[in-house]
Amino acid sequence: MTPEKLALTTTSPVAKPVSAGGADTALARELTRQLGPKKVLSNLSERLNYRYDAIQFGVTPLCVVLPESTADVVAAVKAARSAGVPIVGRGAASGLSGGATPLEPSLVVSFTRMTRLEIDPARREARAQPGVITLAVSEAARPHGLVYPPDPASLRTSTIGGNLGENAGGPMCFKYGVTGDYVTGLEFVDAGGEVHRLTREAYDLAGLLIGSEGTLGLITDVTLRLTTPARFTRTLMASFPEVGQAAEAVSSAIAAGAVPSKLEFMDQACVGAIEDYLHLGLPRHAGALLLVDTDGHDLETVEEERALVEAACLNAGGTVRRAATDAEAAALWQARRSVSPALGRIRPQRMNEDIVVPRSALPEVVREIRALGDASGLTLVQFGHIGDGNLHPNILFDPRKEDAHAVHELAHRIALVAIRHGGVLSGEHGIGTMKRDFMTDAVDPVTLDVLRSVKAALDPAGALNPGKVLPDAVKS
Amino acid sequence: MNNDIAQLHPSAQGELMAHAVDACVHCGFCLPACPTYALLGDEMDSPRGRIVLMKEVLEGNLPLYDATPHLDRCLGCVGCVTACPSGVPYGELITAFRGWSEPQRQRPVLQKLTRAAVLTMLPRPGLFRAGASVGRFAKPLAGLLPQALRAPLDLLPGSLQPAQPLPEFTPAQGARRGRVALLAGCAQQVLTPNFNAATVRVLSRNGVEVTVPRDQGCCGAAAMHTGARPLALEQARRNLDAFGAGAQGVDAIVSNAAGCGAGLKEYPMLLAGEGEADEARARELAAQVQDISEFLHGRLLEGTLEPTLPTSRPITVAYHDACHLAHAQGVRAAPRALLRAIPGVTVLEIPEGDLCCGSAGTYNLEQPELAGQLGDRKARNVMATGADFVVSGNVGCHTQLQSHLGRLGSPVRVLHTVELLDLAYRGEL
Repeated sequence: MTPEKLALTTTSPVAKPVSAGGADTALARELTRQLGPKKVLSNLSERLNYRYDAIQFGVTPLCVVLPESTADVVAAVKAARSAGVPIVGRGAASGLSGGATPLEPSLVVSFTRMTRLEIDPARREARAQPGVITLAVSEAARPHGLVYPPDPASLRTSTIGGNLGENAGGPMCFKYGVTGDYVTGLEFVDAGGEVHRLTREAYDLAGLLIGSEGTLGLITDVTLRLTTPARFTRTLMASFPEVGQAAEAVSSAIAAGAVPSKLEFMDQACVGAIEDYLHLGLPRHAGALLLVDTDGHDLETVEEERALVEAACLNAGGTVRRAATDAEAAALWQARRSVSPALGRIRPQRMNEDIVVPRSALPEVVREIRALGDASGLTLVQFGHIGDGNLHPNILFDPRKEDAHAVHELAHRIALVAIRHGGVLSGEHGIGTMKRDFMTDAVDPVTLDVLRSVKAALDPAGALNPGKVLPDAVKS
Repeated sequence: MNNDIAQLHPSAQGELMAHAVDACVHCGFCLPACPTYALLGDEMDSPRGRIVLMKEVLEGNLPLYDATPHLDRCLGCVGCVTACPSGVPYGELITAFRGWSEPQRQRPVLQKLTRAAVLTMLPRPGLFRAGASVGRFAKPLAGLLPQALRAPLDLLPGSLQPAQPLPEFTPAQGARRGRVALLAGCAQQVLTPNFNAATVRVLSRNGVEVTVPRDQGCCGAAAMHTGARPLALEQARRNLDAFGAGAQGVDAIVSNAAGCGAGLKEYPMLLAGEGEADEARARELAAQVQDISEFLHGRLLEGTLEPTLPTSRPITVAYHDACHLAHAQGVRAAPRALLRAIPGVTVLEIPEGDLCCGSAGTYNLEQPELAGQLGDRKARNVMATGADFVVSGNVGCHTQLQSHLGRLGSPVRVLHTVELLDLAYRGEL
């Protein structure tokens, strides 16, 4: 069973349901005895729906538990361990790397009912259970004049637990950072069912858990830092004849000292898809578009920063349009938010890459990826949080007409481009199963061994989310 | 989500289901839009989960009876369709699936009888009125009855409004500036006869002639959405005849019940695979259908809508989006614009406005507990606005709002959009 096959087809034999019977009933009975019937799902119709995330279908779990407290999670972990069953944590399953899909018959711990959320305005903190929807944190903070900046595109759906697992980012990440930058402390249940509370002093063990994709422990409570929202925001859109020029503009604007709050890019194929979908009047013949927000508490600085970006765009050969009103800015951002649905209309499936490269390398990287896409015969579009060097080259395909291996091969070659330019495999979506194979290209053997030692120290039996992140060591 | 549904179920309805399942990329963006997911928090009771369940049943991997509890809990509010970034036609999928699966269902006898009774009485206002009158006297006994019989009794109003027969033809007041055919609706003729009366008055006041084709019947939405496909087809064909012949030369076929309007607009889907002639007639009719608010909004945009009198004091109106208007028909701006056009009216938005009130089709009868929870939540959200009135464009929402606001002791008055306009024209606000 190779991960790429799982990743690319939903009708492969492993996607078929596993029938009831055997070990699952014993585990389900034990958990039902301890937690009551409402928190335990054991029917096939129930379990079938806990085998996928937003990108991949895996194996039907043996049992699903919907905990309502840390104590429930402890009970679930201990029961699964006694039964020798692996444990997969799950939020809203909107992840794009296969992180929440079980690859072998497992216990799925779904956190959607752990939704307690408290705002402490005096400390400027939110305390959240993992099932809290990301947007809910900002909504609860707003009446206190506070905001929670990490804004993944899925913020209306995704949970804080999932954001922590993948260390999610979003358009605001260039200036304001990603999920992990807002965590001041967390509680987690380890592979043996023990509860730990961590702050970020001394060894940053909390940092280790963040982005670990459920392979080191199950996060059951988190304290998040809140900030005050910027008073002023200014928006501009720039179009460029060629995709590399957009990347050049980004590099030079940032080198000149601009720190935009959002800096997004879309290539021609992407803009074309949006235009076909929404007819917004975007320049569809441009090689690439940049969408930029500058923000802050001082209007003069905000305008100055926008001017810096504007000058960089003009120097790189771009044409600039400033949003005169909030409504105009909103219309421009609608284009960016519509990328996913617009792409969904072109091909039923997409392989979503999530590379990060040094900004100085951006022009070359986007050009190389464009060339790889053109040579492959597959439909490739590029967009992403370019200010952060975070690119999302997407391969759009129809699995009934296009070869899954060709798609996987192109994804791999894109990953290699990023690595060759000093980049990494994942900005915000995680490694999961999708990019696990590429880890041996990206991380040297010594470091991989260190990572395996960390995993072994926290999860000696390999019970937590097996088959994710770290490739198996090659036995010598 | 690739599937073999079209191969396993070679028919127009099979193709329709295969296409819908295929379009889903299981991104999960539908989850927060789903009322049952909001209440239950589990994947099987979400749109994404239900799509997977339907796929598994259609492909023969999961027995139908295993999936039905979760599929039955779907309100059919299609809030997920609005939220879906990939354009999955979920409404078409669940309707077609119910049509396919219902003949294979084994239901308890009492449930079968209740469903048959509802589908028999609902389309016949006379019978429905008679049944409702009798039912009212049984209300005190409701506590002693099994759930299947108790739910319909709980829903009946304490008193019925007198019938207001609709004239077959109402002339335009002043110069004639248009002509429409009106879909009268079934249950609303009994429960809220003033909806039609107010509609006719407002249209006539605006120089629009109104015909009510006599041969029209139930739109078929209730039958369609409960899986009674043969009955739905029969009812649809009757309306294709009635409106085809009786509504010649009209500017539009107007509906003032969101559920019925959506039902008519779904005829092309219902009649897919029923022969080219019927399919073409269905497309023609669907293209003519407009909600009353859409039709009047057109006049407002043209600048030909008669101005109303200003209200005697400033009033606040909470506008409730009926799912079958907002999600199924995409009509959101028109009713709000009409209400705002009344001098003295401020329109307020209801928190969690996109969430269904729980009264979708026969949901109150089949899932009374969930329907009640959603109704309570909606009523509390309406009360949080502090509005004087709550206005919607559907009889189902109307009775649900009335019942739950009443239960909570709220004085907020519940009206149809066109009723509020009618009051404004008459200077009674």
